[in-house]
Amino acid sequence: MGNILVLAEHRQGALRDISYEMMAIAPGLAQDMGGEVTVLLIGSGMDELAKKMAAFGSKVLVVDDPLFEDFNADKYQKVLSALIDDLKPAVVMTGHTAQGVDFIPALAVEKNLPLVAEVVSLEYADGTLKATRQLYSGKVNATVAFKPADTYLVTIREGVVEPPDASADGAVEKVESPLKDDLPYRSFVEYIEAEVGDVDITQSDILVAVGRGLKEDKNLPLIEELAKAIKADIAGSRAATDAGWIPHDRQVGTSGKSVKPKLYIAMGISGAFQHVAGMKGAKTVVAINKDPEAPIFTVADYAIVDDMFKVVPKLTEKLKELKG
Amino acid sequence: MKMFVCIKYVPDTSEAEVKVNPDGVTVDSARFSFDINDADNYAVEESVLIKEAKEGDITVVSIGPKQSDVMIRMAMAKGCDQAVRIEDDRIATHDPLMVAKVLAGAIKGQEFDLVLTGCMASDDGHMSTGVALAEELGVSHASMVKKVELLDGKVRAHRELEGGLLEVVELELPAVLTIQTGINEPRYAPIRGIRLAQKKELKVVNLDELGVDPAVVGLDASKVVLEQLYIPEVESSAEFIEGEAEEKAEKLASILVKGGLV
Amino acid sequence: MSTESQTFTEKYDLLGCIQCGRCTGGCPVTVRADLNVRRFVYDAYHEEKLEELARLAEIWDCTACHTCAVRCPKGLKPLEVLLGLRTMIIESGKVEPTVRDALQSVLLEGNPWEKSRAARSDWMEGLDVKIAEPGVPVENLFFVCCTIAYDPRVQSVAKNIVGLLNKAGIDYAFLDESETCCGSEVFTLGEEGLFEMLVEDNTELLNEYTAKRIVCLSPHCFTTYKTRYPDLKAEVIHYTQLLEELLREGKLVWKGDLQKKIVFHDPCYLGKQGDVYDEPRALLKSIPGVNLVEFERRRERSLCCEGGGGKMWVESESKKERLAETRIKDAKALEADIVAVACPFCVLTLEDAMKGLGYEEEMRVAEIMELLGEFVEA
Repeated sequence: MGNILVLAEHRQGALRDISYEMMAIAPGLAQDMGGEVTVLLIGSGMDELAKKMAAFGSKVLVVDDPLFEDFNADKYQKVLSALIDDLKPAVVMTGHTAQGVDFIPALAVEKNLPLVAEVVSLEYADGTLKATRQLYSGKVNATVAFKPADTYLVTIREGVVEPPDASADGAVEKVESPLKDDLPYRSFVEYIEAEVGDVDITQSDILVAVGRGLKEDKNLPLIEELAKAIKADIAGSRAATDAGWIPHDRQVGTSGKSVKPKLYIAMGISGAFQHVAGMKGAKTVVAINKDPEAPIFTVADYAIVDDMFKVVPKLTEKLKELKG
Repeated sequence: MKMFVCIKYVPDTSEAEVKVNPDGVTVDSARFSFDINDADNYAVEESVLIKEAKEGDITVVSIGPKQSDVMIRMAMAKGCDQAVRIEDDRIATHDPLMVAKVLAGAIKGQEFDLVLTGCMASDDGHMSTGVALAEELGVSHASMVKKVELLDGKVRAHRELEGGLLEVVELELPAVLTIQTGINEPRYAPIRGIRLAQKKELKVVNLDELGVDPAVVGLDASKVVLEQLYIPEVESSAEFIEGEAEEKAEKLASILVKGGLV
Repeated sequence: MSTESQTFTEKYDLLGCIQCGRCTGGCPVTVRADLNVRRFVYDAYHEEKLEELARLAEIWDCTACHTCAVRCPKGLKPLEVLLGLRTMIIESGKVEPTVRDALQSVLLEGNPWEKSRAARSDWMEGLDVKIAEPGVPVENLFFVCCTIAYDPRVQSVAKNIVGLLNKAGIDYAFLDESETCCGSEVFTLGEEGLFEMLVEDNTELLNEYTAKRIVCLSPHCFTTYKTRYPDLKAEVIHYTQLLEELLREGKLVWKGDLQKKIVFHDPCYLGKQGDVYDEPRALLKSIPGVNLVEFERRRERSLCCEGGGGKMWVESESKKERLAETRIKDAKALEADIVAVACPFCVLTLEDAMKGLGYEEEMRVAEIMELLGEFVEA
């Protein structure tokens, strides 16, 4: 039987997006493998979240116990280990997230099961499960085939699919916790929110960077509004930090910081070699510059040749609209 | 504090064009530059900072070719005390579970308080080796650690979660921590320091000398097969968005939203 | 060369200093930063104070322009005291990440720009370049420079000279990707150990080629090879010296003319340190139509652009006007159309300043080789 066990992820009382996203991948795969999807929720006071997951139409198993008030890799490993023995799923699927990566590899070792991590797609054909994942920060794709095993472990990359509609009515079933007592060697202490205003651009996910094209600091609110709309941090080229528009510790380049955001939007930055050297680690680069010959376009994924002051206000407006 | 730090020698492919070799499962690395994996560099620094604060001894463990000796010497110039480099082409390096078994082979049987690794390798990016290693060693662990506080017999680790939130956990020692970039500011290894580090012991061993059965960590032992590498069809050069200024802005906005980039 | 065998005082001949203050008086950086080099020479005499001195931020403001060395009546090199203090910081390992990464890149890849060694001769693609072979005698062995080899903005310096050399039919060869950083900036950043290693390795490499002369495209490599590599067998010259010879021999064939007012900015490493002042001017003057004018501060008194001394990797905390901006304003006052330079760092810093001041429409910063590329038949 090719059943799939999806571990729904939640934190501080809310389901994480990856939980929904996995529901776009698991059902089709289960069908190909001739099995069904079961969602697993581990936590304390899970009724509401269980209902939400049930809306995807699959059965939801809930391990609801005060022992699981907070995420704990060791406890999760114990529960999964016991449930794999009980349910014998063909696939155990979790997010490739700070939770998933914290215990799945240990589970794989413990149960002597195969693991493919940070999977972007899965395919089952002729009795073989194959996963696609990426290497060299996305420059190379790899097809990895599982050798036959009782259970395959996969962690799914976030954001590779859109969550499906959730209007069904799946069953919710509580199961007793396989773990009876607290585990001694790891304990949760607390969550600490990131400090606001204390921005380290080397750690930013999204950066909007401005250069000489900003012209003067009275144009800065335009950029701040864009940054706010997409939860980005603001950085600058040397010209922008020199001019005092942007703090010096947010300078990108060989004499500033090396950054590696998922998205880098360069506006009014020509892209001198010394600047580009500091942002080459960015995954996706958007460049807006009125000079079609600006070297920044050679490293951009998306390019707009135009006056940033004409583009940015509309861009912000549209982004706000689309993101609701 | 007796510590091990596991590091990997990786290519920098951020600017280089990556080409898949005719064998379909390796890439042509002739034009790459190589260096210590970014996160591992932070792990080395963290181990040295702990040693400076609490005294101790650090052993570097790495699987890699002779060329990676320079990386190991740099770690020793920064303060690591000795090193083991495992060189053996029988290891199924595409599978982090096999890699973890080899690393465990270099550590098992010795006393230790902490094992530090980077949380992710920049080449294959499984984020799995360190956590698997903890299980192999039978000790507790925390991954993606952004801050380390040593307490009596325990370590308090601040794990970096999505969205910048930190999850603070306490582990009993010994433990494995996989270190996230940005936890510290890795120091420079001056050449004079590297020269002095030539005097420190760097043991080069194969699996037999390590006492790890090659059959347990080889291609046959691995439960996954790397079938094919290929270059994904992505826009290698910029996609120029056309139209009037406002039109371009609207198109860009929907690309960013639909692509899940914002 | 090493601090172990000599005291700081002996190494930099601190007792030779008469505290006349000509060093600080001439230091171009004083208008921008709180750097008093005379004071450092004085204080460094007290060995117990060295660590404290090394921690002062202003030791990183020095651009190693050598004005202080040129002006010192006792023939000392006051700036080297600052470099010695930098060495103390470097050897502690606790340096700015930008400096760390640049130095580490020199060790691992032979250039400070964190570029792969394999890509070093990519600029040659599509060009007919003669490559040097060990043991095969060559008249002019070219040394490109890391910045010219990798930075697309200044690669034209190397590309243009190749066409010109082929046309002139002179005996030359370039190194392949084995060319390794000369260490000019490594030395001024204070990484003495790495610099010693480069001197050893590059001397061995360059001496393998039976070259009569080593022709450097960057004044930084030129001065470094000329003054800090005692065992190089070949004579070291800057490319403007070679081209000036070709000019005299009538081997440069002009095409078109340049009806522009040009002012020449003396790069510190070419003039003050390399004593080459006339050749670049002769080349510029020979371009048909050119009206060559002069800065008030020229030749030995030329203003530094702040590109040397490792400053490409260290940002000054000072918010005051960059010297490069002062220089561009001076050029503007002279109504110059083109600021000509013969150094890749000067191109980068001056052009940046020119754009910052918004003079892009009416002014241009150009390496001499860029201009010759446009007006000499190749």
